[in-house]
Amino acid sequence: MSTARDHAPTCDFCGLPVAAFRRTGRDEGPSEPLYCCSGCRWAASILTAEPTESYTQRILLRLGLAVFCAMNVMVFSMALWSRDIYADQLQDAGPLADALYDVFRYLAMFFSLPVLWLLGGPILAGVWHSVRRMVVTTDLLVLLGVTAAYTYSIVSVLRDTGHVYFDVGSVVLVFVTLGRWLEANGKLKTGQTLDVLAKLLPETARRVSPNGVETTDVPRDDVRVGDTLRVLAGERFAVDGQIIAGSAVVDQQVVTGESRGIEKQPGDDVYSGTLNVDGDLRIRVTAAAGDETVSRMLALVRHARRAKGDYQRLADRVAAWFVPAVFIIATAAAIWHGVSDGLEAGIFAGLAVVLIACPCALGLATPMAIWTAMGRAARGNVLFRSGRALEQLAHVSEVYFDKTGTLTQADVSVESLVVDESTDRQELLHRTAALAAGSAHALSRAVTRYAASRTVGDDLPKDPTSLQSSVFPGAVRTIPGKGIAAHGMADGEGAVYLGSRRLMDEAGLTLGDSLLHAVEAADNQQAPVALVGWDGRVRGVFTFRETIRPTAAAALVECRKLELQVAVLTGDRTQPAERLHRELNVTVFAEQLPTDKVAAIEQQRREGLRVAMVGDGINDAPALAAADVGVALDCGADLSRDSADVCLLSSDLQRLPWTVSLAKRTVRTIHQNLFWAFAYNGAGIVLAATGRLNPVWAGAAMVASSIIVVTNSLRLNRFPEPISKTEQPDTSPSPAIDQLGDEPYSPIHMPGTQSVKPPAEPQWT
Amino acid sequence: MDVIAQLPLVFLGGLLGSAHCVGMCGPLALALGANQDRLRTNLGRQLLFSGGRICTYGFGGALAAYGGIWLTQRSVSFVNAQAALAVVAGVVLVALGLSTAGLLPRIVPRRFAPSSCVAASSFKALLTAPSRTSAFLAGVFTGFIPCGLVYAFLAYAASAGNVLQGWATMVAFGAGTVPLMVLVGSGGTLLSISARSKLLKIAACCVVLTGLISVARGAGHLHFAADAQPSGCPFCATTGSASANAAGRSVE
Repeated sequence: MSTARDHAPTCDFCGLPVAAFRRTGRDEGPSEPLYCCSGCRWAASILTAEPTESYTQRILLRLGLAVFCAMNVMVFSMALWSRDIYADQLQDAGPLADALYDVFRYLAMFFSLPVLWLLGGPILAGVWHSVRRMVVTTDLLVLLGVTAAYTYSIVSVLRDTGHVYFDVGSVVLVFVTLGRWLEANGKLKTGQTLDVLAKLLPETARRVSPNGVETTDVPRDDVRVGDTLRVLAGERFAVDGQIIAGSAVVDQQVVTGESRGIEKQPGDDVYSGTLNVDGDLRIRVTAAAGDETVSRMLALVRHARRAKGDYQRLADRVAAWFVPAVFIIATAAAIWHGVSDGLEAGIFAGLAVVLIACPCALGLATPMAIWTAMGRAARGNVLFRSGRALEQLAHVSEVYFDKTGTLTQADVSVESLVVDESTDRQELLHRTAALAAGSAHALSRAVTRYAASRTVGDDLPKDPTSLQSSVFPGAVRTIPGKGIAAHGMADGEGAVYLGSRRLMDEAGLTLGDSLLHAVEAADNQQAPVALVGWDGRVRGVFTFRETIRPTAAAALVECRKLELQVAVLTGDRTQPAERLHRELNVTVFAEQLPTDKVAAIEQQRREGLRVAMVGDGINDAPALAAADVGVALDCGADLSRDSADVCLLSSDLQRLPWTVSLAKRTVRTIHQNLFWAFAYNGAGIVLAATGRLNPVWAGAAMVASSIIVVTNSLRLNRFPEPISKTEQPDTSPSPAIDQLGDEPYSPIHMPGTQSVKPPAEPQWT
Repeated sequence: MDVIAQLPLVFLGGLLGSAHCVGMCGPLALALGANQDRLRTNLGRQLLFSGGRICTYGFGGALAAYGGIWLTQRSVSFVNAQAALAVVAGVVLVALGLSTAGLLPRIVPRRFAPSSCVAASSFKALLTAPSRTSAFLAGVFTGFIPCGLVYAFLAYAASAGNVLQGWATMVAFGAGTVPLMVLVGSGGTLLSISARSKLLKIAACCVVLTGLISVARGAGHLHFAADAQPSGCPFCATTGSASANAAGRSVE
């Protein structure tokens, strides 16, 4: 059953609750948007209306003219006050001075009325809007107080007796508007990072006509799925697509966080916002504007801003009774002081209470910090799915890592090579390298790297193409799922095969005893293997292993610095798990089925601990969902991993401690903001209600308070980058890397680890 | 010596001292005239801009003077605050003048960082907007930009002892800055660097002189408080009698 609170109206711009005394049941129709304050109304209209300069100009002009008028009001008011200060000494000032002071009263009125019109107008519009919807905002109270001050002063001027308070009325209006305007700008600033992202998308795309000859520039929104686009070097992709012609290096940093370019061939996917560095490409559109990668990232973050965390709920709950309470206190103070000290004292006490208790600081305390942090995280290639995830992450005490694909890389490397007794090792490496050079398969790449580091002399050309053609004049064939083969070598000998045992069987190559032994040993450890053979015999067996990410060790160290308990949950057997434990100095729970992982996490949660699970989000989705915070690594363009609350776009593990630090810092900022808001409002209301606070000072304090909250929150925008940003081994301070021997690609040996996740590419079976 | 009597000197201080201001506010004036092809339009914009600045300076002067009065009222029992203010303002002016002349280590003003805050970006929007109101308002807000020279004269205005005299002091100062700012804004850098540095030297002397007079005025009030000032206009009369009265009490 839904409660009334579930339906508490919220601001259509910032999502803050709009306090309502009474809410009529009518929610009918596509009614006009509801805003919590005029600042949001402005910000929203700036965003939704055509972002023409003239509109923001008009707002600024209003405020500027009002400031100018208020300044003049102040000058005349001060002249009048200075007479009051010296009232006892001015008996002999003469009729000229009196006449002049009368003129000042009129001048003050003359300059203050435009302020009421310029600034009171928009506030009145908002108040009228709210009143029609039976919603009471503090703006109504402010307007009542200001109108009272104006009315009282105008009557005083016309009757030529009594004090004038035009200064209070106009300065309060200026402060209220200035405060709201600064808040609105602050709110806009929280989204600045996202705007930068959105601006990466080109406005137009070059569509190729069906005959494939002419190209026309069309707006990005007009591009449809299935269209063919031409993208030149130096241009960004406007939409997602698949390359159908051409090849290029593509800088995908915006999506994956990887700073180095990726070579893309026909058939490869390209993502919107990424940069075509050097190729002339034709792509077939797979996702049109609005559905492509960058738009989905933006939509995700914008959606996340709406999901409220615990702190925000707390602020909302307080705000829900805060406005009615302020109304009561203000009315009570006004009546009390009005009766005991006169009408003006009553008006001022009430107005001061309303101004000092403007719940802006309270309402802004949490969302400003959360939004800024989310924007900052997005700039660091980290996406939060909700504000709640950010708050939860700050309170996490246990972090579980998945192993395969998380602590280890998708790329494998050669663990060992066993060579048949009758074959020369160097010759085998030479032939295998030449063959493997023609394949982009992960195992082929590993073989090529291994061969390059183990062959003697420089008879092996470094360029893969020339290497291949020098050995194999004929084409190298890929046998899908099984391996590769080349027919006929330069020296006239027969075909060479590299691939699975099945490929060898099918090619009629026999496996000697020693090699059979090696294959069985690898099978026992569930390590992938590749066999190479020619002339009727299998000549060698390559055994592969996973490599630990260069940033893994450093990331774990940093996690511990943040006082997080770290552990690894892996499906591996005990032996490889023990190795992992030794190499990374981390607790490893071995032989964990996906259900066991979930059980382990739930056990910790039952004990009252907050748990984060870090995985690749593919095969460990249940564990990610079971944890308080699920963190998916290497999301890249794949934002569909819904089980993760946090997406690290890159594969850089050090982003994890960085993100936790950012979350902790954000929660600290929220604490500061909330503490300030409560302390300020508490102390201020007491002062104002007892009549000790002039409304002008209350208005100034309100602006100062908003500025403090906004500035404190926007500081999160400057949260520093982690020291090591890329996954380059030379920049990663991993202790294991110091022990590197001749293995540049595989800092840590992990023989025989069980592969929980299917590798990125199928093994040769 | 009366504050009003020193207005020409203050004007001169503003006039020559603006050689100093051109460095900070000059780019703003240039930006204001950036897209104006016709000299006459630009001249109008520059005058409006300066008018806006003068309004703010005047407001600041009135505020400072009121603050001075308030302080005098509060502290009347133990020190003659107004006279003390005059001395302090004088010392600040002398220090600033000497520093401008290069005889004292340079007082480095805090840089105005246009990109750092929301207000600045809006301010830029005002500067570049074509409307005349924008130009005027840009001037109004420029008046609030932190500036050592303005502060020195504000301190001087604080010692005026009368709101309108404080206002007048700063308006005179602001009026003094108009010629050079308009010149820079409409004609680019017509003054050579050597001419500007010479002007700066003279300005420094002028500022030092204003400062010395202020110190003397303050000291004079401290010593000869019993001598009532002759009454001129009603406000001067107010100040005269008030400060004399206050000073008299403090001397007693």
